[in-house]
Amino acid sequence: MADMEKAILEIVKSHAVGLVGDVTRDTLIADLGIDSFSVVEIIYEIEEKLNVEVPFNANENPFGDMNKVGDLLDALDGLIKTK
Amino acid sequence: MSRRVVVTGMGIYSPLGTNISDLRDNLFNGVSAIKPQTYEYRDSEFSITTPAAAIEDKDDILKTLGRDVQRGDLYAQFAVAAADQAIKDSGLDFTKGANSDANSALGKRTATIIGSGIGGQHTSDVTQYNMLVKKRRPHPLSILRIIPNAAASHVSIRYGLTGPSFAIASACASAAHSIGMCAELIRTGMADVGIAGAGEKVLSYGALEAWKAMHILADEQCRPFAKDRNGLVIGEGAGILVLEDYDHARARGASIHGELIGFGMNADGNDMINPSLEGGVGAMEMALRDVTIKDASKLYINAHGTGTLLNDPTETKAIKTVFDYEAERLIVSSTKSMHGHLLGAAGAIEAIASILALQNNIVPPTINLHHPDPDCDLNYAAHDAVERPLDVALSNSFAFGGQNAVLAFGKV
Repeated sequence: MADMEKAILEIVKSHAVGLVGDVTRDTLIADLGIDSFSVVEIIYEIEEKLNVEVPFNANENPFGDMNKVGDLLDALDGLIKTK
Repeated sequence: MSRRVVVTGMGIYSPLGTNISDLRDNLFNGVSAIKPQTYEYRDSEFSITTPAAAIEDKDDILKTLGRDVQRGDLYAQFAVAAADQAIKDSGLDFTKGANSDANSALGKRTATIIGSGIGGQHTSDVTQYNMLVKKRRPHPLSILRIIPNAAASHVSIRYGLTGPSFAIASACASAAHSIGMCAELIRTGMADVGIAGAGEKVLSYGALEAWKAMHILADEQCRPFAKDRNGLVIGEGAGILVLEDYDHARARGASIHGELIGFGMNADGNDMINPSLEGGVGAMEMALRDVTIKDASKLYINAHGTGTLLNDPTETKAIKTVFDYEAERLIVSSTKSMHGHLLGAAGAIEAIASILALQNNIVPPTINLHHPDPDCDLNYAAHDAVERPLDVALSNSFAFGGQNAVLAFGKV
């Protein structure tokens, strides 16, 4: 998971135009500065990387009540395990 | 309510120049942007070589447009590049800001009408190829790139323009319809300012194969009105005008490039490919209904002039029908001989060429007209630009499907 986590953090970072510094598990999702386009792109790139389908509706916030980037990583980990 | 509409900003992103100054110089010097180009999918057998008017060194400007716009199809990026110039040229400040009530009010009174013949054809081609041949999933933003209103959306979002906004698709008349309809919104009081024009990017493998299948592409050069003309040459790019209510422009001391003194549009109602004489005549007459031509020698017509077998003699006959014996005194040219056919965006670059002609009293030439056609017997400013006093310029756009739009410009 460590390599996978690193890869996902890279994807998130490449879209986090509003963020100064590195993306870590503790980074607040609200601080990433991502727009509706970026959310769709991040999910797509993660799906390609992990070969999973992330269930979400583009009109809703796919991060739901997630607070930190770590929450996203845990949710993806769950998706992989149920695959 | 009927208000005067003037042009206070112009922007261009085209094979003949990516700023107005270069476009003007190249138009008046008879420079051709047409040469053989190859379009292909990387590492595949799909490849086509055809004469085209392509924009070289695109990245210089496009890479500065910012992340939001760069995620769009190239047709939308072209339009934003042209809109940036036009808005800067107009001197209007749409800068967004929570404490800027004045700018927000201006944004509400600004229409954004930017058309395209096809929209995101390039993205569509690449998406289909990747999906069907490479077995890859479509990119999730494909739809937002392909939709033909994306260019208008990008511009309205970039500048916070919240007045009427939509795209017009009427093939080769899309830009002229967009400019004309945007002016009508201002005339009738639905807006005070308009960002109007079109963008087009169909120079890609799939699109060019489809155009080739129609047997209407030239084999070497675009030769409007010449006996040896054998088709059109496709170009790419975008042109944008800032239109403005005359009193609004005067009140802020804007520099005015010209006035849109007439707009005509109609349909041939006849044939998908072949243009009708009556359609062209009717559209020109409608554009001129409030215009008095005092001296026909001071009238310039930027012709649709595609260089196809049927358009050029039909358009010539239409001009002769509208102007009767005065037709031999006016001057016509087809700048498509230099910048190619920008399809949906053709009416935008040609509106700008018409305004530049008026501003400078110089008619841009029709190049490649070495062998005159007896059925095309007007003064086409062959080979070289012509200096002469001008009062009025018409810009003709006649689309496949028989949809016509004609813009008339005058001096202020």
